[in-house]
Amino acid sequence: MSVKHALLSLLEQEPMYGYQLRQEFESRTGGTWPLNVGQVYTTLTRLERDGLVEAAGEDEDGHERWRLTESGHEEVATWFTTPVARTQPPRDELAIKLALAVTVPGVDVGTLIQRQRSASMTALQDYTRLKRQAGASGEASDLAWGLVLDSLVFAAEAEIRWLDHCEARLRRAATQEVPATAAAAAEQVTR
Amino acid sequence: MSSRLSGWRLALRLAARDALRHRARSLLVLVMIALPVAAVGVADTVYGTSATTGTEALERRLGTAAARVDLFAGGNQVFQLPDPEDGLSFDGGGRGDQALGVDDVGALLGGDRPLTEVREGTLRYETARGVGDAEVAELDLDDPLTAGLAELTSGRWPAGPDEVVVNADLADRDPGESLVLADGTRLTIVGTAESTRYTGYPRAFGLPGTFDLGRRAQRAVLVGGPPVTWEQVRALNERGAAVASRAVLADPPTDDQLPEEVQWGTGGIDSATLTVLVLVVVMVLLEVVLLAGPAFAVGARRQARTLALVAAAGGTPAQARRVVLASGVVLGLAAALLGTVLGIAGAAALMPLFQLASDTRFGPFDVAPLHLLGVAGFGVLSALLAAGVPAWVASRQDVVAVLAGRRGDARPSRRSPLLGLVLLGGGVGASAYGASRGTAGGGEVPIAVGAVVSVLGMILLVPVVVALVARLSRRLPLPLRFAARDAARHRTRTVPAVAAVAATVAGVVALGIAVSSDEAQNRETYRASLPMGAATVTDYRAGADQDAYAAAVLGVAPDLRVERLRGIDERRAVVRFRAGDQARLLTSYGGPFAATVLVADEVPDALVDLDAEQRRAGDAVLSSGGVLVFADGEVEASTSRVVLRRSGGDGGQSATTTPAVFVAVEGEYATVQGVVAPEVAQRLGATVADTGLYLPGPVPAATAADVSEAVGAVRDSGSFYVERGYEVPDETVVVQLVLAGLGAVLMLGGTLTATFLALTDARPDLATLSAVGAAPRTRRGVAAAYALVVGLVGAVLGALVGAVPGVAITYPLTGPLSDGTGGGPSHYLDVPWLLVLGVVVGLPLLTTALVGLTARSRLPLTARVD
Amino acid sequence: MSAVLRLVDVHRVHGEGEAAVRALRGVSFTAHAGELVAVMGPSGSGKSTLLTISGGLDQPTEGRVEVEGVDVVGLSQQQRARMRRTSIGYVFQGFNLVPALTAVENVALPRELDGVRSGQARRDAMRALEEVGIPELADRFPDDMSGGQQQRVAIARAVVGERRLILADEPTGALDTETGEEILRLLRARCDAGAAGVLVTHEARHAAWADRVVFLRDGVVVDESGSAPVEDLLQASHP
Repeated sequence: MSVKHALLSLLEQEPMYGYQLRQEFESRTGGTWPLNVGQVYTTLTRLERDGLVEAAGEDEDGHERWRLTESGHEEVATWFTTPVARTQPPRDELAIKLALAVTVPGVDVGTLIQRQRSASMTALQDYTRLKRQAGASGEASDLAWGLVLDSLVFAAEAEIRWLDHCEARLRRAATQEVPATAAAAAEQVTR
Repeated sequence: MSSRLSGWRLALRLAARDALRHRARSLLVLVMIALPVAAVGVADTVYGTSATTGTEALERRLGTAAARVDLFAGGNQVFQLPDPEDGLSFDGGGRGDQALGVDDVGALLGGDRPLTEVREGTLRYETARGVGDAEVAELDLDDPLTAGLAELTSGRWPAGPDEVVVNADLADRDPGESLVLADGTRLTIVGTAESTRYTGYPRAFGLPGTFDLGRRAQRAVLVGGPPVTWEQVRALNERGAAVASRAVLADPPTDDQLPEEVQWGTGGIDSATLTVLVLVVVMVLLEVVLLAGPAFAVGARRQARTLALVAAAGGTPAQARRVVLASGVVLGLAAALLGTVLGIAGAAALMPLFQLASDTRFGPFDVAPLHLLGVAGFGVLSALLAAGVPAWVASRQDVVAVLAGRRGDARPSRRSPLLGLVLLGGGVGASAYGASRGTAGGGEVPIAVGAVVSVLGMILLVPVVVALVARLSRRLPLPLRFAARDAARHRTRTVPAVAAVAATVAGVVALGIAVSSDEAQNRETYRASLPMGAATVTDYRAGADQDAYAAAVLGVAPDLRVERLRGIDERRAVVRFRAGDQARLLTSYGGPFAATVLVADEVPDALVDLDAEQRRAGDAVLSSGGVLVFADGEVEASTSRVVLRRSGGDGGQSATTTPAVFVAVEGEYATVQGVVAPEVAQRLGATVADTGLYLPGPVPAATAADVSEAVGAVRDSGSFYVERGYEVPDETVVVQLVLAGLGAVLMLGGTLTATFLALTDARPDLATLSAVGAAPRTRRGVAAAYALVVGLVGAVLGALVGAVPGVAITYPLTGPLSDGTGGGPSHYLDVPWLLVLGVVVGLPLLTTALVGLTARSRLPLTARVD
Repeated sequence: MSAVLRLVDVHRVHGEGEAAVRALRGVSFTAHAGELVAVMGPSGSGKSTLLTISGGLDQPTEGRVEVEGVDVVGLSQQQRARMRRTSIGYVFQGFNLVPALTAVENVALPRELDGVRSGQARRDAMRALEEVGIPELADRFPDDMSGGQQQRVAIARAVVGERRLILADEPTGALDTETGEEILRLLRARCDAGAAGVLVTHEARHAAWADRVVFLRDGVVVDESGSAPVEDLLQASHP
């Protein structure tokens, strides 16, 4: 998760101090990815070392503020115009779990799938409820929050669809010649 | 080239499979097309069978002879076609040569030929109830030449001139053991036989010498031996005989060898008949196409999705058309085959019925393959046409709309209603023109053509009308609103059905008005000859015995009053009335009296052409020795010059002037010229005789039949007439019933077709209605609403369009005669309101009720998408 | 909170013997007022059958079906039709509307079929159209409307006249995401206002609008997610 670029884009607006950065980040992402202040300061130090930010003096309350350098601005611009690469997919715990469940004998894959689906659906319902409550106030921050929420919704949906697909494939495998373990697993699914 | 063929093969296969899958719809189309084919097939086969052609009938006319020579008295030269029955004419002028005899014929033909004479004529014979007529034939029944002219059905042939065989018709009249002729001859009936040519009339056969036919006999000679050539036929013609020769009939001479006098062409159909024939064919074709069209339209719609996918995959519109046309070919061929088979089978089954109704004996079962092929082709053609329009629509459909699942037809085109309006206007104009021609001739064809053109124009206007009805349906209850709008959305299916109903109603209304108006004219212009219920007994022949007649009448009806009529004997004299310098006072006269001038001293009750005042004046003038004269118009004179001209003998005339009362009559016609007082007749030297009996009556119907028979018994020339006023002839009633019946059947067919197809089409909507909570009987309501919309709109439209030619045709039909002599109104118009309202209002309502009662009342529940 | 729709051990078998297809095998199911229940499952799982049985369009081979406390199974065709006119609203995936009628006429359909005079029915229909936010489409024909607009009219028809049970069979199937969401928003609002809704769908995102999601597999309920069934809370011992 690129905290570095998030902080840079926040500083694009105006110089801020550490704690302020954390506040802004959390408010714009709805607290989905909590950030602690220590992480903020560590990242700022690294950014300063790389020449992307520089100190901007203190404000009335004595907080030390930071601002972007020229390279910093360029970096932000590049980040916004470059798509996020999907080269290295993050390790998906669920996919690993399912892959192992299918090959390890004695695991009730059908129930596993159903339980996971139920849980994902519950999460999806919660997200949807949040969406309903989010009014259409028109503020930019609310819109941003909505988009983040939608990403969670779509991800959960994708997971459920993948689970449906797994279930169907396993059922089909039950009617064909497959290794004994997979066949046994498929049988459990269809029962 | 090969791809085209394979394309057709595929299309045909698809069509066949589709037809089998939708059995009800296919059956509908089959019936629609097969029925007309079968009907025409039956008619053609029956006609062909009944018309015995030359070769078939030869045995019936010639027996086993080589030729039959008909001898005519008077020795006039004869001109004939190869078959004298097709055409025969005489050289007028009666040269008075002796007629040929049997031996003369043999001499002329040469060779040693066997000959036998046949004599035929009409005789009266006694029956249980009186006297009857019979056709008799004298022929040598043992001679092999006559074999085939008569068929023995029971008993035996006569052995001598006092024996006779009779046919079934005569036997039915119950002559008894023996046949007693009018002249008293008694012949023993020894069997029954049938003529091989004719039925339906009493006949008797006997050996030569059995009947005393005398000069009235028709003589013919059957000639055996070698074939008789055309040259020999011509030779006999010159001597006054007509010849039917087997050889000539088998190999007729060419036209240029025929005598000029008979070269008017054979079997020519005049142009009027041809026009009517063509129009009838066009109308039948139109009706079939209109009725079968909706069925194909629905088929095209069902395939719409497939066709759209084909188009989306790169198929051409032509290929899409091909699939729909293919179903036309498949169903058309099947229907044509079915219709032809039904036609032949139907003709075979119905032949006995037709034979009964005809008076000639039919030949062997005669199927004309070429004709039937033509009729079958007609069936296939109409199927193709009926499929053509949907095919064209299918190829032009909006691919996008169909794939998106939008049902319904495209927006109506602008051009066709305009064309329809133009055609309608043209048709109305033609009808008006035809009407303006009146009875001058040449008006019928424009009206008939104008009627067809109007109907075609109306068909093009139907979409507009249907759309209009839909637009106006806002306020209607739900089923009607739904039906009207749905009908407008699916024009391809609705328009043909509405058009078929409208065309039928137009025809019924037009013909109904024509027939009724003609009837009205006959009714209005009918002139009674006698007071209502009165009767006369007259005998036009010389030597009539009025006493015998009076006795006969009183014998069967003693309560009737019988009066004698006296008049001037005009067999050798002619009487004319003159006034001033007018040459001819009365254009036409004639009535149920045997004289045109009556003699009496008061106006006879039998005369009806005068009112009370005129009758009084007439009585006065006759009692004072004057005359009563009928005239075309008012005559300003008080005397008349009566002229009697004698014919034959010494000729000459006598005249006298007397006081006269003139009575103007309507229509330039009276039953007699007038009445003269006895003194006047005496002064003229006229022969006055009893001229008949007058029965004031009223004579009831049962009594009339008895009197008629009794009168006939006295003498065969006696006639009996009862005035019953104008009686509608049976044919008129039959025609009106047939019109109503045919109209009902066609309208029912069209409406049921449209409703059935609409219901099938509307299954998704009906399922929606059901899902939304419609009661199951809503389906009935919707079905009935469809039927009402189609029936009522079609009927009203058809009535409006049919009224125009109907009214127009009354001008030429019932107008006054074009030579100006006929008076009367420009036309008679009687609109048969009962028929019209029945067809326009009653039939749609009846159809609606029928549909409502028979529609299934269960809504489809779950089949929501096709 | 009362149960507007209750299915108790419902079985539905099509055909007989070898070819018998068991669409539902002992399904028990409840929907309460104010609750939107989603039913998910692959094709052949029996979810459409569940809906048609709930609406009285189909009869179960065994089991009890109650709508607002009335046993639907014993009713005649007429009575069930009456229920569909007055208590139950249906929304389908496609071909919802009668193309021959305008939008307002389509919405007024259940009222008119129930014998309400057309003036009054039209007024009720206009009110429903306003509720779903498209009063301006009243006199348009379905052919001239987009898919989303048609579905909105269908929903209006399902809710006209204060109906308490709404059955929706894949109502968003033919629509894009945004429009589909609007449709679900409408359904949700209706349920919040007191109706009971049953939504059959295969889209998890849309099912997520429901209070409870029921999973059907091969005619059997295999799981439920979301807030626990209210019954369990109130009557823990009820089978």
